[in-house]
Parts: sequence; C-alpha cells; structure tokens
Amino acid sequence: MARDDAPAAVAATTTAAATTQDERDQLRAAVREFAARMAGQPEDKVWRQLTEQLGVTALAVPAGYGGDGFGFAELSVVLEELGRALTPGPFFGTVVLAGSALLCCGDEQARSRYLPGIATGQTTATLAVTEAAGRWSADGLTTLASQTDHGWTITGEKCFVIDGASAELLLVVAGTPDGAGLFAVEAAGAAGLSREPLTSLDPSRPLARITFAGVPAELIGEPGGATAVLEQVQTRATAALAAEQVGGIQACLEASTGYARERMQFGRPIGSFQAVKHKCADMYARGQLAAAAAAEAALAIDGAEGAPEAGLAAAVAHAVCSEAYMFVAAENIQVHGGIAFTWEHPAHRYFRRAKSSQLLFGGPGEYFERLLLRAGV
Amino acid sequence: MDNDKAASGGELDAFVAEVREFLDAAARRREASDDDVRWGVGSDQITYFSDDPPEVESAKVAAARDWQRTRYEAGFGWITGPAEYGGRGLSSLHDIVYDTIEHEYEVPDTGVLSLIGLGMIGPTLLAHAQEQVKARYLPAMYRGDVIACQLFSEPGAGSDLASLSTKAVADGDGWLLNGQKVWTSIAHQSEVGLALCRTDPDKPKHKGITAFLVDMRAPGVDVRPLRQMSGGSEFNEVFLTDVRVPDDHRVGEVDGGWTVALTTLMNERASVGGEGNEQASRATSLPFLTAMLRANGRLDDRASRRRLAELYADIAATDYLNRQATVRLHAGVQPGPEASVSKLMYAQNLTRSAHFAAEIVGTRLLADGGEWGTFAWNELLLSTPALRILGGTEEIMKNILAERVLGLPKEPGIDTTSPFRELRRSGTGA
Repeated sequence: MARDDAPAAVAATTTAAATTQDERDQLRAAVREFAARMAGQPEDKVWRQLTEQLGVTALAVPAGYGGDGFGFAELSVVLEELGRALTPGPFFGTVVLAGSALLCCGDEQARSRYLPGIATGQTTATLAVTEAAGRWSADGLTTLASQTDHGWTITGEKCFVIDGASAELLLVVAGTPDGAGLFAVEAAGAAGLSREPLTSLDPSRPLARITFAGVPAELIGEPGGATAVLEQVQTRATAALAAEQVGGIQACLEASTGYARERMQFGRPIGSFQAVKHKCADMYARGQLAAAAAAEAALAIDGAEGAPEAGLAAAVAHAVCSEAYMFVAAENIQVHGGIAFTWEHPAHRYFRRAKSSQLLFGGPGEYFERLLLRAGV
Repeated sequence: MDNDKAASGGELDAFVAEVREFLDAAARRREASDDDVRWGVGSDQITYFSDDPPEVESAKVAAARDWQRTRYEAGFGWITGPAEYGGRGLSSLHDIVYDTIEHEYEVPDTGVLSLIGLGMIGPTLLAHAQEQVKARYLPAMYRGDVIACQLFSEPGAGSDLASLSTKAVADGDGWLLNGQKVWTSIAHQSEVGLALCRTDPDKPKHKGITAFLVDMRAPGVDVRPLRQMSGGSEFNEVFLTDVRVPDDHRVGEVDGGWTVALTTLMNERASVGGEGNEQASRATSLPFLTAMLRANGRLDDRASRRRLAELYADIAATDYLNRQATVRLHAGVQPGPEASVSKLMYAQNLTRSAHFAAEIVGTRLLADGGEWGTFAWNELLLSTPALRILGGTEEIMKNILAERVLGLPKEPGIDTTSPFRELRRSGTGA
C-alpha cells in the first residue's frame, strides 16, 4: 500500500523488519518496566538510559541510517508506554517530529547527516513550525529565510516548540521566496539564536520560544518543499501522538477502575454503584475506540494489507484519540473525587497531557476539518 | 464450535474455489455500481426495521427459504455444523470466508432465518437438546424448512430475563405452558420457538427455569403483531395458553434452563454486534451524508461540516474496531464481552446520523412534501431508540463491560439467592 507520495527513503520503511505479537509484547514489557523504574528521575538521566539501555530511539529509523528498521507498529508500542507513564524527555520531538521530517524530506544528504545521531540518541532534535499565532501550518509564516553569499540565514520567532529550549538540532520551517522551506540549525554556538522556556500547561511536554536573528541555517530539500513534507510529517506525528494518547487513556482507566474497586463509601466499593460503573464503562468504550483508531493508523503507515489510506487513518486517529483522552482524563478525576484535585495526585498530570495533546496540532477546530479534507469531503 | 481446527492454506484454497464455483453458477455477481451512492436516484428508503406489507414480507421469506435450501444442498447451509445433523464440519474461518465471498454476489437476504434461528437457536439446540429434537429440527432449520424464534422476554422480564414467569407444569408425559412472551421477532413466520419457563418458583430465579422447543402452530399458541413506535410490526406478543409440549422437546435439564439461555445469549452477542442492517448502512456512509449536505447547499457550512466530521470520526473508528476484530477472528481469537463496545457504538453512530440528517433536512422532515431524501429519514429516526435497547440495553451492556472486563464488583442484591416467589416483580402487586 502506498503512503501519500512517499519519497524513496520513506517507502524504504515499508519493507520494515516485521515483529511477532510476542516480540511486541516483550518490547512493551521492557519499556513499561523501564518507565516505572525511571518515574521521578531527572530527565537527562532518563534519556541517557532510554537511549543506552533500551535503544528505542533507533527502533523505527531505517537500517541504512544506523537504525533497527522496524515499523510504526513497533514505534507505537514504545509511544504507548511512554504516554502511559508520562515519561518526560525528548523522545517525541526527536524521534517523531524531527525523525519524521528527515524521513519525509527527500534530502539524502540531510538524512545521512542527522538520522544516525537520532538513532543512537546522541542528537536531540525538534521541529519548529508554530509561531505566535499557534498554527501548525506552513502558510502565513513570519519567520523567513534569506539566501546570502554565505548560505541561508533565518530571522523571526517560533513559539510553542516542543523541547525548543533544549534540543540540539532544530529543524525550522521558514518562508522563502519559493514558499516554505525546511532548514537545519545546530543550536550549539549558533549566532543570533535565543531560546526561552515557556511556562507550560503540561510540564511533561516543555515548550519554548525561539528567536532567530540572522541565524545561519542549512536548507533541507528544496526551498519550497516544506509544505509537502509537513503534510506527511503530520500524518506520522498525529499517528504517533495517538499511540501516546492510548497509553494515557489506559493509565487513567486503570487508575479509575482500581480506585473504584477499593474505595469504600456507604459500606461498599464505589465501583459497585452503577453511576460509577457506567462512567468506567464509558471510559473503556471510548478507550477501545481510540485504541482501534491508533492501531489502524499504525497499520496504514506500515502499509498493512486491508488498511485504509494512511493520511485518512491518521486523521481519524488524531480526532478520536484526542477526544477520548480528554474525556477519560476528565472522568478519571470525577471517579476519584476530591483526592484527584490535589497536586500530589497524578490525575491532573494526565488531564494536562490530554489537553496539551489535543491542542498540539491545532485542536478540534483544525483536526475535524482536516479529517473531512483527507476523506475527500 | 469445537471443530475449530486451524485450516491449512491448501485446504482453504480448495474451499474458496468450491465456494466460487457454486456462487458463479447459482447467483449474479454484484456490480460495483450496486453500492454507488447517488443522491436522488432510486429509492430513498432508509430503514432499520423492515416495514413491508404482508405480501412483500411473505415473498421475501419464501426467497430466503429458497436460497437457504440452495446453499444447504450445495454444502454451505451449515458450514460449522456437525455432519450427522447436516453440517459440513468445518471451522468458523471457513464460515467467514464463505460469507465474505457471498457478499460479492447478489443473493436474497436470509436474515429472517439466520439472525435468530440459525445464529442463536441452532447452536443452542446442538448444545443442549435431546437427540430426537436435534435429528428432526437441526437439518430442517439449516435447510430453510423450519424458522425458529426466541421466546425469552416477557412484559415483566426485560433486562432481568431470569425473573420470567411463564409457567411450565409437568402433565403426564409432557408439560403444560402458560404465560406471555413479548418482543418476539418473526414469531409469525416461525415453525418453532425456544421458550424459557418457570418450573420451580421456590428456587432462586436462575435455578427454577426450564427451556422447551415449542411448536408455534400448536393449539394454545396465539401470535399477535406488536406495532412499534416506528410504525411497522417486526415484533410480536406471543400468548401461551395450556400449550402441550412433549418431554422430549425439553431442552437441557429440568430447572437447568438458565444454562441453555446463556448459550443463546452468547450467540446473540456475536450476531447483534457491529454488523447491522444493510438498508441502514447508508445512513453511516460518508459519501451518502456528503451528498446530502451538497444537495441541501450545506457542504460549505462550517457548523454542518464540524458535526459531520465528529460523526464520521466515530463511524470510521468503529469500522476499524470491527475490521480488527474480524482479523483477530481469522487468527482464531473469539470475541469476548469487549465486543459490546461495537454494539454500543453502532447504536450511537446510527442515532447521531439520524438526528444529523434531521437537522439538515429541517422542516421538510415534518411532513411528506414529496422531496427525495427528506421525509424518508423518519423511519430511521423513529427506529433508533430501539437500537439502544434490543439485544441488551445500554445500561446492561455497560454493566457487563464494567463487571466482566474491568472487574468492578456487582451491585449487592438479594434477588439471586431468595426463592423466586418472594421477589418483588412488576405487575404482580408484590
């Protein structure tokens, strides 16, 4: 099954190494155990061990660039578990956003230069698209790139950039006379670059403002090529986000049902009251639907037989998983009652993550319309 | 079925070839254009329940029986059934393969036989009936000669089926049945019905029930059509007055009827699932809903688009859920109680579609002004409340999910331990 106008290197991942259900279960168990062990540890330590011990940054990077060459189904397992534990760190920005941009950019030189570092985890990276207006789009950019005798330089401001204050490699979408282009900026020592961490709704997903004042940059692909690249990155990134969301949904559902079994009021477990029971059943039903949508998107990206077109499946997954996670994270607090309104209780962290995930790529106003467009309506 | 041995590739290929050979000879291939959605072309009927006049309904039932007989004689009438009762003795994978291929052909709808009789009552009789009943009725049912209905629900026993009160009293070498059943689909077309009856009111409610196979043409069986809120009469009330049933038509042990009922209900869950009704399927078809928006000049209206997108997201995800369940079924994984999610979503999606269409059509829904695709939505709209009730109400489905999947504790109660006659029941003044 063809993904939408896949450039050669992305197509190469359709021949990804296949795994059995058993192998994916083992991978899941390993990541789950790791995430539990790392809970509360400093982010850089978590990242070091994630890359060195688990090696999952290499999982879905094609073998030709130092990766393991597995597909989206395997990547989804990791994302689900990191989403379940709200494990902090630059995995999403590095592997999903920057990794996908490189895979989809059609620029062999850029891929060879940057993907091996992402695979080993030595490079942390992100993709800077949004600006002050908060739109995840290559249209209407105010950050502009201009060509000088010494190459390209970027001037402008990016905002709400995931891991923007810490990532070593910044892939920046900036306007050029030929349309939006994708550029690489290596942050270390870059002249004219300033980065400011922002106070974020969801501290487990740090966001930053990045200001460029004539920052030297490398063009990736063609000057007007970023619009098409972003379209494909969005498919992969929203499908990846959906997997993360499914993990978060599971965590909330398990917390709610566990509490409903144990919490005694009126002389019996609150889970024996139908009002609570039905809340949990609704959470479960939405969760099953979300899991099916996320799995379908992964199957579609991997080109599985009988799966729908990847862009459409990812749009379905993004809408369904975003709605489901927000619903489940909010209901989780209600099932727990007052205890879940405390700072110490983890419920608010899932509530924050659910809302931040829902709005990351523009939110309901964008994703529902995009779903119709992808479905040809 | 216990003959679910994994089919080898070669064997399955031979089966596929055999199925195609049969269908090529016996039926017409469906044209791609048969599934086309063209707004304003052909019938604008969108129904969930059939609402045919009696002569049309009888013709459809006759066509269904004929096609079932043709299938049976070619060896595809009961693919998973044991050979001694006319079955083919193959796996449920073969069954799915057959259904998938048959769907490519234009054949009569056999739902009147298969949904209840062959899908639910057949497996129940096979598991629990006495030998002479199995030998007499199973081949006849799968040949299309005998249609079976399910005499379970009563006016006083809906979600709490085990509180049923239709009585069966031992009488000579048989039993005498008295009581009333309700919501009996196709009772008026059926030759037999599987009835649950109270045989010992001094035992707790689940432990004093016995199942019987009742001859629907026997004296004392009175079938009266029940008119639904949607206008049609797909269901019946069945009054049983001193109906005699021989003891060899008892299904399962005396007072062991609940076990029998569970077999039927398990198969009901499998058949009510996400499948749905073909006539209603265009109500959840994106091209059809899009065509409706276009025809009504609303395709560029932001509010309508948003509502369509929210609806379509759930419809698509439900399709994905069902597709993945089918793939798992192919791999030999039987559906568990989690399959209820598909049923909940099906009811919800169809309900939302009907109300969405009503909003788009607006005032033109109120009376038959003659315009294509406007007043026609009423049949579906008025059927949707039933989707959240039949085959297990939404509340019961959620209890099942919460208790059996999520492990939440049951509601404490005395109704499962007290003698049936001491329970408070509707309509008894108790």
